[in-house]
Amino acid sequence: MSVQKFDTVTQSLLVRETGGRGRAPRGKRKWLATFNRYKWFYLMLLPGVAYFVIFRYAPMGGAVIAFKNYVPFLGIFGSPWVGWAQFSHLFGSPDFVRLLSNTLILAALNLFICFPLTIVVALLLNELRLTVLKRSVQTLIYIPHFLAWTIVAALTYLLFAQGSGVLFNFFNGVFGTHVDFLTSPGWFRPLIVLQSIWKTTGWGTIIYLAALAGVDPNQYEAAVIDGAGRWSRMWHVTLPAIRGTIVVMLILSMGSILNTGFEQIYLMTNSLNRSVADVFDTYVYFAGISQGSYSYATAVGLFKAIVGVVLIGGANWISKRLGQDGIF
Amino acid sequence: MSTMTRAITTSAVPGRRAKVKRERYRYNTRAGKVFDVFNVVLLTAIGLVALFPFVFVVVRSFASETQLASSAFFLWPKEFTFEAYDSIFSTPAFPRALITTVLVTAVGTIIQLFLTVLMAYPLSKKGLPGRNVIMSGVVFAMVFSGGMIPTFLIVKDLGLLNNYLALILPMAIDPFSLIIIKNFFQNLPGELEEAARVDGASDFGVFWRVALPLSKPVLATFALFYAVAIWNDYMSPLLYLNDSSMWTLQMFLRQVTSASTLQTAQQDQPGFVAPSEAVKYAVVVVATIPVLIFYPFLQKHFAKGMLIGAVKG
Amino acid sequence: MKNTKRRTVLASAAALCATALALSGCTSASSTGSDDSSASLKTLTVMAPYLTTQAPAATNPVGTALDKVIGTKLKVTWVPNSSYGDKTNITLAGSDIPDVMVIQGKDSGFVNNAEAGAFWDLTDYLKDYPNLKTNEPDVQQASSINGKVYGIFRARDVMRTAVMVRKDWLKKLGLSMPKTTADLLKVAKAFTDDDPDGDGKKDTYGIAIPKWPGGFATNSPYDAIETWYGAGNDWITKGGKLEPSFTSPNWIKALDFEKQLVSGGYVNPDFATLDSVDWNQPFLTGKAGIIIDTYSRARQINGLLEKQDPDTYQNMVGVTGNLVGPSGKMHALPTAGYSGFLAIPKASVKTEAQLKSVLSVLNKMNSKKAQIIMNNGLEGKNFTVKDGKAVAVTSTTATDLTNIVASYAQLGTNVTGNKFYPPAQPNDYDQQQYDAEVKTMNSDAKHAVYNPAAAFVSQTYAQEGATLDNIITDARLKYIAGQSSLSDVKAAIQLWKSSGGDQVISETNDLYKKSTK
Repeated sequence: MSVQKFDTVTQSLLVRETGGRGRAPRGKRKWLATFNRYKWFYLMLLPGVAYFVIFRYAPMGGAVIAFKNYVPFLGIFGSPWVGWAQFSHLFGSPDFVRLLSNTLILAALNLFICFPLTIVVALLLNELRLTVLKRSVQTLIYIPHFLAWTIVAALTYLLFAQGSGVLFNFFNGVFGTHVDFLTSPGWFRPLIVLQSIWKTTGWGTIIYLAALAGVDPNQYEAAVIDGAGRWSRMWHVTLPAIRGTIVVMLILSMGSILNTGFEQIYLMTNSLNRSVADVFDTYVYFAGISQGSYSYATAVGLFKAIVGVVLIGGANWISKRLGQDGIF
Repeated sequence: MSTMTRAITTSAVPGRRAKVKRERYRYNTRAGKVFDVFNVVLLTAIGLVALFPFVFVVVRSFASETQLASSAFFLWPKEFTFEAYDSIFSTPAFPRALITTVLVTAVGTIIQLFLTVLMAYPLSKKGLPGRNVIMSGVVFAMVFSGGMIPTFLIVKDLGLLNNYLALILPMAIDPFSLIIIKNFFQNLPGELEEAARVDGASDFGVFWRVALPLSKPVLATFALFYAVAIWNDYMSPLLYLNDSSMWTLQMFLRQVTSASTLQTAQQDQPGFVAPSEAVKYAVVVVATIPVLIFYPFLQKHFAKGMLIGAVKG
Repeated sequence: MKNTKRRTVLASAAALCATALALSGCTSASSTGSDDSSASLKTLTVMAPYLTTQAPAATNPVGTALDKVIGTKLKVTWVPNSSYGDKTNITLAGSDIPDVMVIQGKDSGFVNNAEAGAFWDLTDYLKDYPNLKTNEPDVQQASSINGKVYGIFRARDVMRTAVMVRKDWLKKLGLSMPKTTADLLKVAKAFTDDDPDGDGKKDTYGIAIPKWPGGFATNSPYDAIETWYGAGNDWITKGGKLEPSFTSPNWIKALDFEKQLVSGGYVNPDFATLDSVDWNQPFLTGKAGIIIDTYSRARQINGLLEKQDPDTYQNMVGVTGNLVGPSGKMHALPTAGYSGFLAIPKASVKTEAQLKSVLSVLNKMNSKKAQIIMNNGLEGKNFTVKDGKAVAVTSTTATDLTNIVASYAQLGTNVTGNKFYPPAQPNDYDQQQYDAEVKTMNSDAKHAVYNPAAAFVSQTYAQEGATLDNIITDARLKYIAGQSSLSDVKAAIQLWKSSGGDQVISETNDLYKKSTK
C-alpha cells in the first residue's frame, strides 16, 4: 500500500504532465502552463486571498499610527509624525523590564502547565468508554469558556477573600498559616494559573478530541496483536497519531505568547500585588487605551506581533528539523 | 489531523506477533480496571468543578435583590423569583435581538466555514507555486492586525455600515483555523486521491467528493468555533451597527448588565429604577444556554473511526 | 531562491501597505443634517449615551413633546453607556459626525481632539444665551480645558460626600453621629470592640472600604479623609504655585489616621480587594457600621434595607455630610460639579452662523419647560405635581415613560440651576431624610475645597496620568496596610516626581500662570 500523502500525489501528477523528470517548459509558457495546471486551486484561493487583502492587510496600513500621535479628528494622514517616540516611550519606561519579565513568566507558566494539561485531559477523556459519561463531561468542561472573567474574578474573591473566603479559611485553618491569597504577590501567579486552567482547558480539548476521533482503530488492533498493553498503546499509537496536531498547536501558540489577556489580570490586580501583576496588556490599558491613546497601543501591538512572528518562525524551523510538518 | 500515513505495518512493539485474539483490546487487566475507575472519578470531579460556577450563576439569577445584596454565597435562593428573566424577556428589544443573532450566527458560520475550507484545501498542496508566500501572509495576519479604527474605516469605505455582512466578513477567515484545517487536508491518505483521479475527478472534484466528506470532525469543530465567535461578538455590532433596532444579543445583554450594576458614583437619574443585580447573572445564562444546546449536536461528528473502511488494501 | 522569495514577500507587503494607506486616508469629514439657515434649525443630530436597558424608540412621546417645546426635531443616536468611549472615538474618525455630542469626560483622547480643532470653543458665545450663561462659573471653569470651554457642562450636585452610620448601633452604645474625624475613630473602634449588635460575638467592625476602581483624587473614602485633614483636593496652592496635595504634611497625617483605622482592625480586612460592586454587602449583613461615600449610596442602602426589614429599617441608617478634621475647620470634599458636557464638532457644524443656530436650540433645551420634560416627564402621564414636587404615577406605561425620560436626561445641561420638579419621596421618613440631606449639602458646600488645577490638562498627565496615579495610590495602600514605612511613601513620591511628575507640576503651573494673566 503506497503511503503517499495527498499533496505529493498532485506533485507527481505535475511531474508526469510536464514531461518526465519534472522539466517544465521555460519562460512565459511556464507561467501559463503552471497557471493552467493549477487553475482550480487558484480559483479556490481567490475569495480567501481577497479576504486577507481587504480585511486584514488593508487595515494594516493603519498601523502607521504607531509612528504618529494619532488624533481621530485629524485622521491617519493628518496626525503628526513622531517617529520612534511611541516605541522609546515603551522601551524607555522604567517599568519595561518588570513588565517584560511578568509577561514572560506568565507566558511560560501557561506554556508548561496549561498546554500539556489540555492534552492530558483530552487523552483521559478519550480513554473513557462509557459514552454517556464521556459526552456529559465533554459538555461540562467547556462551560467555563463562556463565563466572562468578571464572573471568574467574583468567584475567586468568594473563595479566597481574607476573612470570608471559603478556601481562605480552610487553607489557613488546616495549615495554621495566615496567607492572604488575593494580596500576596507570591500567590498571584498560582491563582492566575488556576483560573486559566479552569477556564481554558475544557475548550482546548475540543481540537485534540477531534484529532483523536480520527485515529484509525486498525492501528489499535495491530498494536494489540503485537501484544501492547494499554499504556503502550497510548504511547505508541495515540500520541504519535496526534503528534502533528500538538506540534501545530504549539507553534501557533507561540504567536500569541505575549498576550496574557487583559481582563483576567486587570481584575486580579490591586495595589499590593501590582509588582508581579502588571503585564504589557494592563500597562497599555492604563497608559494608553483608557486615555484614548491608540498610537501607543498600536506601537505595543506591533512590538508583540514582531516577537510573535519571530517565535513562530523559530518554532516552525525547529519542528521541521525534528521531522515534523510545521505549519508552512 | 490524524497521520494516517504512519505505515500500518510498522509494529507498535517490535517482535513476534501474538495470536489474534478477539479479546477487546485487553482493557480487562487489573491495572486497566483500576485506571478506568480512577479515570471516571477524576473526570467526573473535573466536570463538576467546571460546572459549579455556572450553577452558582444560575442560582443567583433566580434570587431576589435583597438576598443578592446581603448574602455572598448560597446554594438555593430563599425566594425563587423570575424577576430578572422577566426584565430581560419583557423588553421588546430582546426577542428581536435574539432572532437577529441566531440568523446572523447561522448564516455567518456557513459563509465563514465555506471560505475557510475553500482556501485551506489548495494551501494543503505542497507543490503549489505561491503557497509559501500566501502562508507567510496568513501567519503574519494571525499575529498582527491593523487595529480597530483602520478596520472600521475599510468596512465603512466598502459601504458595509449598518449591514449585517459587517458582522460576518471582517472576521470571515480565522488564520488559526485555516492553518489547522489545511494541516488536516495535508494528512489525508494519498491513495484516496489516486482512486478518485482514476475515476476521472478534477482537482475540484477531488476536493468536493473525497476531501470534504472525510473532514466531518474538522468541519464540526470549526463550525462550533466560528458560531461561538459570532454569537459572542460584541465589538462588531458596536462598531458597525448604528441603528439600535438591528442590534444583536450581546449588545443588548451588555447594556442590561451595565444598567443593573450602575455605580452610584454616576449621577442619579430622577425616577430611574435600576434593575436587580440578578439580571447580571440572568444575562450570562441567557447568553450561554443556546450555545450549550448547540454543542451536543456537533458532538456526534466527533465519533471514532471516521476513516474506517475508506481505505481498503 | 530564498532571497527572491523574501523580496517578493516584502515587495508585495509594501504594495499592500501603500494601497492601504491610500484607502484609509480617504475619509472626508462631511457634514450631516444641519440647515444652512441661521433661522431656527429644522433638525439637530445628537449622540448621547443611555444607561437603561433599552434605548428610546426613534419616535416616542417624550421626544415628540420635547421637539415641540424647542421647535426643532431632535435626531438622537443612542449609544450604550458601556461602550460610549470607544464609540466616540470611532465617530470622530469617521464621517458621520452629529451636530452635538455628549462627551463624558476630559480624557486625553478628547483633549487631543479638541486642541486639534475638532470642537468649537464656546467661551465667548455662551454669555449671549440666557439659559446657557451659567450661574456656576467655577464649575464652568473647572470643565474647561486650559482656558477654553469646549462644551456646555452637565451640572451635577456639587456636594455628595456623605457618611452613613448604623443608627441603631450608635443608640445601643450610647454614641451619637460622628461630627469630626476623632469621632469617626471613636465610633469605628466602638463598633469593632463593643459588640454593637449585642450577639455576644466579636463579628462586627467599623468602616467598610472597597478596592477603589479609580485613580488618585476620585472621591474615594481615602480622598475624603485626606481632604478633611486639610490636605486639599488633588492640588493645593502654595505661595502662588500649584503643588500636588500629597506633598503637604497634612496628607501624611491623614495617612497615619487611615493606618490607625486599619491596624486597629476597625476596617474590613479585605479592604484591598473587596469589589466595589459588593460595597453594600458588609453594611447590609450587619458586619460593618460605617460607609464613607455619597448620598446616592445612602439612599440605595435605605431602599435595600426597606425591602429586607420593612418594619425596622427606619431606625437603622443615619446620614451626615463631611466631617471636621483635626484643625477644627470644615474642609468639605466636592465633586467636580459636572459630569461631562455637550460639545459641538466643527466637522458637522461648519460656520459660525450654524453654530449660533445650534446654540439657540440648546438654549431652548435648557428652558424650564424642556427641563421638566427631560427630567420629570409628561405631566399627568408619568408624574403629577404636589407641593412643588413630582410624584410618580404607578403604572407600566408610566414606568416605560420614566425610563425614556432617564435617557433624555442625559442631554440635560441645567447650567443655570435645576428648574424641574424635585422628585417626591415615597414616604414621610424618606422625605425627612431627603430634606435633611439637602440642608447638609448646602451647608457643606460653603466649605468646599475646590481643585485649583481642575481646568488644566497637562500633556504629560494626559499621557502618563494613570500610571503616575498608581504610584501614589499603591504607596498609600501599602502604608496603610502596614506593609511599608513612611520613608517608602516618601520614596514613592520621589518616584512619582522622577517618572514624569515633575513635568506634570511644571506644565500645570505654566497653564495656571497663563490663565491668571
